[in-house]
Amino acid sequence: MVAERLPAGPAERIDRERQISFTFDGRTIQAHPGDTVGSALAAAGVQTISRSFKYHRPRGLLCCAGRCPNCLVDIDGVPSVRACVTPARDGQTVRHQNAWPSLGLDIMSLTGRFDRFLPIGFYYKIFHRPRFMWPLFEAVLRRVAGLGRIDPAARPEPHVRTRHLHADVTVIGGGAAGCLAALEAAAAGARVVLVEEGEEVGGSWRAMQASVDGDARINGLPGHVAAKRLAELLAEHPEVEVLTGTTAFGVYEGPLVTASAEGTLFRIRTRQLVLATGAAEVPALFANNDLPGVMLGTGVLKLARQYGVAAGRRVAVVTDDDAGWAIADELILAGLKVAAIVDARGGEARRSGEERTVPTDPALARQAAESGVEVIIGTPRAAAGRGRVTALIVDTPDGQRRLAVDVVAVSNRPEPVTALLAQDGGTRRFDPGSQRFVPARVPDHLHVAGAIEGVAGDRHACAAGIHAGRAAASAAGFHNADPDSAAAVRERERRAVSAPQVDPLSLGASGKRFLCLCEDVTVKEVEQGIVEGFDDLEMMKRYSTLTMGPCQGKMCAGLASCTQAQLTGRSPDEVGLTTSRPPYQPVALAVIAGPNETPTRRTAMHDVNRPTTSRWVDLGEWTRPLIHRGVAIECAAVRERVGLIDVSTLGKIELSGPDAGEFLDWLHPNRFSDLRQGRVRYRAMLDEAGVVIDDGTVARLGPDRFLLTTATGTLDAIDQWLRWWLAGTDRRVAVTNVTSELAAMNLAGPRAREVLAGLTDLDVSSTAMPYLSAVEGPVAGVPAVILRIGFVGELGYEIHVPADYGAHVWDALMAAGAGHGIEPFGVEAQRILRLEKQHLIVSQDTDALSDPIGAGLGWLVKLDKPDFVGRAAVTEAIERGAQPALVGFMVDESTVPAEGAGMVREGRLIGRVTSAKWSPHLKRTIGMAWLTEPPTADGTRLAIRHEGRTLSATVVTRPFYDPDGERLRS
Amino acid sequence: MSFLLPCPVCGPRDVYEFRYGGEVMRRPLPDAGGEAWSAYRYLRTNAAGPAQEWWFHRAGCRRWFQAERDTVSNVVMASWWPGSRPSTTSTPAAGKGKVAATATSEPDGG
Repeated sequence: MVAERLPAGPAERIDRERQISFTFDGRTIQAHPGDTVGSALAAAGVQTISRSFKYHRPRGLLCCAGRCPNCLVDIDGVPSVRACVTPARDGQTVRHQNAWPSLGLDIMSLTGRFDRFLPIGFYYKIFHRPRFMWPLFEAVLRRVAGLGRIDPAARPEPHVRTRHLHADVTVIGGGAAGCLAALEAAAAGARVVLVEEGEEVGGSWRAMQASVDGDARINGLPGHVAAKRLAELLAEHPEVEVLTGTTAFGVYEGPLVTASAEGTLFRIRTRQLVLATGAAEVPALFANNDLPGVMLGTGVLKLARQYGVAAGRRVAVVTDDDAGWAIADELILAGLKVAAIVDARGGEARRSGEERTVPTDPALARQAAESGVEVIIGTPRAAAGRGRVTALIVDTPDGQRRLAVDVVAVSNRPEPVTALLAQDGGTRRFDPGSQRFVPARVPDHLHVAGAIEGVAGDRHACAAGIHAGRAAASAAGFHNADPDSAAAVRERERRAVSAPQVDPLSLGASGKRFLCLCEDVTVKEVEQGIVEGFDDLEMMKRYSTLTMGPCQGKMCAGLASCTQAQLTGRSPDEVGLTTSRPPYQPVALAVIAGPNETPTRRTAMHDVNRPTTSRWVDLGEWTRPLIHRGVAIECAAVRERVGLIDVSTLGKIELSGPDAGEFLDWLHPNRFSDLRQGRVRYRAMLDEAGVVIDDGTVARLGPDRFLLTTATGTLDAIDQWLRWWLAGTDRRVAVTNVTSELAAMNLAGPRAREVLAGLTDLDVSSTAMPYLSAVEGPVAGVPAVILRIGFVGELGYEIHVPADYGAHVWDALMAAGAGHGIEPFGVEAQRILRLEKQHLIVSQDTDALSDPIGAGLGWLVKLDKPDFVGRAAVTEAIERGAQPALVGFMVDESTVPAEGAGMVREGRLIGRVTSAKWSPHLKRTIGMAWLTEPPTADGTRLAIRHEGRTLSATVVTRPFYDPDGERLRS
Repeated sequence: MSFLLPCPVCGPRDVYEFRYGGEVMRRPLPDAGGEAWSAYRYLRTNAAGPAQEWWFHRAGCRRWFQAERDTVSNVVMASWWPGSRPSTTSTPAAGKGKVAATATSEPDGG
């Protein structure tokens, strides 16, 4: 069956002149620009769009507002997209979810006939025994009870961004109340952000033909015209930013509102917040209330008015409120055939002989009579039909009626949308008159306006919006806003609204009545859960997964509370509502994650290193050469001739000022105030627990000027550490992070002196520039700081130059070294060379518990100097008898154990490998290990667990290479 | 956490710009003994309510300051440079909220 489009109407969004098409499960669907995927499917006569979660029942459009789970589809590989609010685009590929082999013939729908095997809480009850079978059951259940499927190979284009907005007043909800609130707040001078989920502002007016009333600017206009007028008024205000197609999904402390539009996350920081989220229809609990053709009244109207699609040929409107009568009237105006209005009000009263006038507003009764609509006072019992509604069965005082209809428009009194209110700390109470939850207490910065208050009507919405807008602006500091005069109008309108009584929920009927469409939870299952003892709603939620599906309770939260109340003999107020948490609407994780803005840092020598680098490595935020020509070649060059490595990633901090020396003494267990100018000294830093947190060097470049180097990864922490110890003191010390300002390279090897001598006028002889000297002077014509230190254990010069000249100096050194057989070397060779010297790397060879004694740095600790950071702790460690624990070892065979491999002795774990490498120079596997118990002396035999076997090794406490440091000092 | 923190240099900024530096504590004297030092290193008040804390404006002026924050409501009462704490810090009125004007419970008698 292909439904005809209705004649063109004034409020429609589609462009009938143009055609687009997409495919749904391979079938071509014609659409017009402006259609949603859902409206185009409805126009094409597609009734079943999805299969339900557990029983695999056919489901079709229900709310047409992006609030229910019924139309979740996969579009172009993106799962769980809401078809009813997603624009149709030419060439889209739309697929159903959760049905096999096809949507029409879903084998799993048989589960509906065997539902006693899938009772409430079935996850917890069956399949768990025998225990070893659970993984298999789980795999099957996951396949059966799934929603969308993510293609792990798919890489959606990461066109996501984050926008930070700052507002005086943020209004959520662009219906009449929200728009007027925004206009009033802006008129008072406030910067306003209005967030509207739909493509346009205007709320329910957008689909209305009836004229509206409540404000001079829109009085007498048909609803859809008034909606456009509001949009124009907002556009005229430069201080109002209107975000349409944007869903506010979270309210956090601050307040901070998070909202998402396609690919954009909005973080809106606001002084005041107006919630004008309105009220929304929810399902009614009759049997087969999920059958395709059972829809919400506003959904049927929206399809007709905005997309020209008739949901069916004969409509029965089911209601418990005058709102349903108004919807019926609109449906008739839109060109649909409304066969009957079924009003459930007055059932109880009638039985007890009391007369009730239905509807309350006589004008609505008159309109219905004029249109020839049959009015039935009664309770819907069941929708009938196979895969599609063909009839509605109604219990009336005069017996059961069967109405032949193909659409049941459920239009009960709308439920205030209070989830965001609850997220922001507001509370809700159950209003027995309307049988709905309404706002109770709200935070000081928050204002509610419109149908969210549980009060219907245009006049009230307008008055409330105007008052809330002024009150919010006033509270945000705009004193020309005058909330007081508007408050009286609002109060008058609120009182003027007749609030016809709604009957309490009645659960008399039987059959599958779905309370939760997302998770397929029926009233009967809730009854069973209560019998099993889950009489608390939060417990019931966890047991049944009620309110936990994709709609997050938008359809079922109120109904769940009322049902639980009814079945346990309490009031809904006592039962309460389940907790509302962000996100209120589904948001793509990529949007929340935001764009990937992780920086990559490159050194000044990155480009000149490019031609020789064969492998790069990312270390923290830096990218560095790992290997140039080959590890063995590079190691041999450094040991036998000369090598050059880029060490610009070293943290470099300049400390200056009269108290800099004393400050360094305070921060370290050793002394620096006595360091002579032109000298460099090893440093290791402790925290107050006596743990080694960083090491490096300190060079004294002037009387009050020190250059401190840190490990690459700890720079930021050490910078903060230094600043923390200076905060609030009167120490005259300036801390300057010069890491990016200086490029650094290490020239190392027996011929390093000859290479350097060719590029500087400085005397580089061992007498003028001995080991541990720090000299400032030109290298290759560039001012440089030269530190004579050697991490790799050879005659070495760490040369720091302004970063802009890094590449120039690198090239000059490489050119000067060409005749000496110079090789660039990378991080891997450096790691091997330093291990041959047993030079530790903090946080690789030490951890968060390593004291300096254990790390073999006891020689640094000077207890004869005044208090320093960590002194108390390191004193305690010495008193406890702390012993060196970090030792070198040599493996009997060539296998290299993994870092972290355990050491065992008599079945006990006695330590772990911290570093291990194959040494091309020694032709042995060497490493360092942290041993937790003695003996740790030279020659101690160790057993290392490696890949299921044991490697034998021997402790070597002195450096494997040049143990006396003669080459270093040469 | 999505509150604003008033940096004494840069003004109110998103808390994500800052590094939390722990409670403000007094460092024991060197000879205070193991218990005092152990308490300084490992024990925290962890108050549910007003707490004085260190904060570092990592993505801003990179300076340390101190602030008084209610750890329950995340309302920041004051911030100051270490050593120059204002003698009185204003305590904001507890946000008790207000009652929303909503639908009346009375039936209209219709």
